Amino acid sequence: MPVVELSYSRLQKLIGKVSKKQISDSLPFLGLDIESEDKDNVRIEYSPNRPDYSTDFGIALGLQGLLGIKTGDIKLKIKKSSKYSISVKPGVSKIRPFVTGIVAKNGKIDDKTLKQLITMQEDLHFGIGRKRKKSSIGIHDLDKISFPLVYSTADRNHKFVPLNSKDEMSISEILTSTDVGKDYGSLLGQSSKVPMIFDDNQNTVSFPPIINANITTVTTKTKNLFVEITGIGRNDAEDMLAVVAMILQSAGFKLESVQISGAKNTSPEFDMRKLAIRTSLVNQTLGLDLKPSQIVSCLKKSRLGALSKGSEIVCTIPAYRFDIFGPMDLVEEVALGYGIQNLEPTMSPSQTVGQTNPVSLQLKSLDKTMVGLGYLEALNSSLTSQRVLYDMTNRDSSKIISVLDSKSREHTILRDSVLPGLIENLSKNIHESYPQRLFETGTVFTPDNPVSEKINFAGICAHKDANFTEIKSVVQAVLNVGFGIKVETKTSSDPIFEKGHCASIILNNLQIGIIGKINSAVVENYKIRVPVVGFELSLSGSILATEN
Amino acid sequence: MSQVFHDIEKKIITSLRNGHKQSPESLEKSTHLSPDQIRRGIEWLKLKDLAIVTESKTSVISLGKNGLESFEKGLPERRLLNLLNDGSKKLSFLKDQLGSVFGPSMGLARKNNWIETSSDSISLKNLPGELPGEKTVNLVGTERLHLDKIDQDDLSALLKRPDFIIENVVKTKQIALTDSAKSLKLSDSFGEIDVEAKVPETFVARTHPLKDTIDEIREIFVTLGFSEIFGNMSQSSFWNFDALFTPQDHPARELQDTFYLDGVSAKKTGTPDQIRNVSGSHKKNWRYQWDINEAQKMVLRTHTTCVTIKHLAEKKPDEARIFSLGRVFRNEKVSYKHLVEFNQVEGIVVGKDANLRNLMGIQREFYKRIGITKIKFWPTFFPYTEPSLQTMVYNEKLGKWIELFGMGIFRPEVTKPLGITQPILAWGGGIERIAMLKYDLADVREFYNNNLGWLRSSSKCQ
Repeated sequence: MPVVELSYSRLQKLIGKVSKKQISDSLPFLGLDIESEDKDNVRIEYSPNRPDYSTDFGIALGLQGLLGIKTGDIKLKIKKSSKYSISVKPGVSKIRPFVTGIVAKNGKIDDKTLKQLITMQEDLHFGIGRKRKKSSIGIHDLDKISFPLVYSTADRNHKFVPLNSKDEMSISEILTSTDVGKDYGSLLGQSSKVPMIFDDNQNTVSFPPIINANITTVTTKTKNLFVEITGIGRNDAEDMLAVVAMILQSAGFKLESVQISGAKNTSPEFDMRKLAIRTSLVNQTLGLDLKPSQIVSCLKKSRLGALSKGSEIVCTIPAYRFDIFGPMDLVEEVALGYGIQNLEPTMSPSQTVGQTNPVSLQLKSLDKTMVGLGYLEALNSSLTSQRVLYDMTNRDSSKIISVLDSKSREHTILRDSVLPGLIENLSKNIHESYPQRLFETGTVFTPDNPVSEKINFAGICAHKDANFTEIKSVVQAVLNVGFGIKVETKTSSDPIFEKGHCASIILNNLQIGIIGKINSAVVENYKIRVPVVGFELSLSGSILATEN
Repeated sequence: MSQVFHDIEKKIITSLRNGHKQSPESLEKSTHLSPDQIRRGIEWLKLKDLAIVTESKTSVISLGKNGLESFEKGLPERRLLNLLNDGSKKLSFLKDQLGSVFGPSMGLARKNNWIETSSDSISLKNLPGELPGEKTVNLVGTERLHLDKIDQDDLSALLKRPDFIIENVVKTKQIALTDSAKSLKLSDSFGEIDVEAKVPETFVARTHPLKDTIDEIREIFVTLGFSEIFGNMSQSSFWNFDALFTPQDHPARELQDTFYLDGVSAKKTGTPDQIRNVSGSHKKNWRYQWDINEAQKMVLRTHTTCVTIKHLAEKKPDEARIFSLGRVFRNEKVSYKHLVEFNQVEGIVVGKDANLRNLMGIQREFYKRIGITKIKFWPTFFPYTEPSLQTMVYNEKLGKWIELFGMGIFRPEVTKPLGITQPILAWGGGIERIAMLKYDLADVREFYNNNLGWLRSSSKCQ
């Protein structure tokens, strides 16, 4: 979840008459979690579906609504201007086909505002921009740019002075020697040309989606901004622009339009959408009995436009609220406007009779039986390692299922057997008193178009007199008492068990498991100093009920 | 209060009162107890501060091969002198008689001027009295003697000679009574035991503490009218993500968050209708080119919701309360608060009265049954539910609100493509978090360490 840093005093200025406590009490009910607080500063986690909450400007608008200070939808006031335009050349179509933009004038950028704009940009890049792949933003000092602009391409030997640099660098140099170049260069693929925005004097303005030119750097002295957004989809770029425009307007800038044309590009419209919901859907979903006028007021508190028309409410949705897909999203907006804290939980009696799955019941009685036999239950991960499953136990590793790019070396392979984990457990407990008796039931995995999952049951016993007879007697008892079945053992061999002390467990002429004395080499690998005996058998199919 | 002693203890105390210190061996003789009984008795008395055990090291001397031969036949030089006692002998005769000790015995005799040599015969010159070492050989014989019982000067003559003397260092214990034990009154009646004494620990076999919490939660769900369904842990991306309206380029679907099975793909995911409708919903709402190959990639489920949605898509019930419980996976760095594999439970309510306030009511009831009464609800965001809430519960021990289960109503973008028309309430979350509160654990890894110290001691009935 993205995090934004705010200060209470700044929020108070933006919102109007409100106390610090009112703010901190209300934040969670906007869906914003307070991560940490330190006097005036507060760190807030917001949901990635609300990129408008990436700055304190956006959060202030939300709080104004919730607290009833200012409600209703936020309208963008954009002055139509013919001064600013971008023409798009066909060369970009195959690399990064769309550009859009807006001009924001007469704003005041102090340190804190600049910081907010930078984190907004980073969050938008990471979230809805999908790490700049779908769309990316460049924010520039308008007064350093001569319009009209051209969105075109350049060769990789094209040179300009990039942001935070004093010297000219070629595109290739930027891609190999700057952090952003290394992080995002792959988005451009192998094409010999890269996208580029030039101004009327042939100066490079931006090299999307990598870096801006140094000349247009925004500082606390900047008054007027030019924002360009490029992307692989027009809608994605315009969605992002809608968020930025709304935030800049809230920050006190006057917006002016930018004309976009050429290669299937058009000027952004920032259209408000209309979406109707039925009163009955709201009341049914929330379990309330609200009048249309109440619903309208709730929606307005959520900063949407709303009008009651018969049994329907017609909502006006600003362009930056592209997280709203349909009526159910509006129901949630009603709930937020109503205040989640005002929703009283109710309990409708169940019309159904609950049932434990028969398999769960069987496994539970198996647990009880094993406990009765003096065995302690262990729990191990089903995602384990080559070391535990194969290296330490000499088992056959030809049919493993592994996962890609695990962050933990101890969790890379799905277990095909439960017993190796139990032996590993013994090795971690050699300082504890003996006898040690453990059991585990758990899922094991084998490749089978695509994966077969079965429940296995394993037990292990370690003490100075542990022997085959003891463990066979345990298996016999648990299967007889637990499931009323009788099994036989038949001489067998297995790398995990000692030769001559190993048998297959046979039920109705079918092998369902294996039992024996653990191979002394395995026991030695684990530095266990007492004899160990164990068993493992498959419960699925032969013993357990069918699962569903 | 008079102390009760075991018969073994009484015998040992009585024996030690008669003399001073004793070794365990001598106690065996005086008490007629077995070495094991003596060992145990001493241990008990030590624990009660009634006996003091001092350990000391002493050397024990026994004869080696040559020493033993000398004990039988006399020292080599004595044998030579004996042969010469009745007159001079030929060199070859002496060699024959003395064998391997001929050389050394001749050397000693010459050096000490006991013999004289003329051409090839040897005769006696001075007959010495007792030879150095003779006393020791005869004293030790076939026994093992403490070093301090042997004349050190006499012994030193033998120590230089090969295989005559074996010196062993042995530890010896001496047991003595403490002052309080000396004045103890021993009861006369035999057969009584010390019922106040400490006893060895017995370890209880038990089910795993986490499993107990899981079973408890399962029972609560059943009591609330829910029935349990099962599903696989390995799932196609289609059911884990696509069917739940998570776009294919969503960060949660990246390798760094989700475990993908290496080289494993599902040939079958949903029915052709399901695939068409789900992909249609993605294309329309998320505006991108949906890719079936991406949906066929097998993952380790990141939530149990894939199991419930598959069940609902198949059965399309008008009324139902179901739940699924089991392991889920996240590609995380393992730490005190994160595991790669943990348990999740998820409940689903289908029906006409499935609304948000009822969902909150079920939560309240659930938490009440696990002993949590102070709860509140906050709005939150999940890709597949709308509206979405999270429960905050107040933890008295930590003195703060913590986040537990999430909940919501399945989005129409999820249900419609799968042909589900009824509203569906869904709620659930991780079980380890609840178990951590219950067992007062700060490190979630403890549940899977299988540390016998913890498993054997953690309290079962809470």
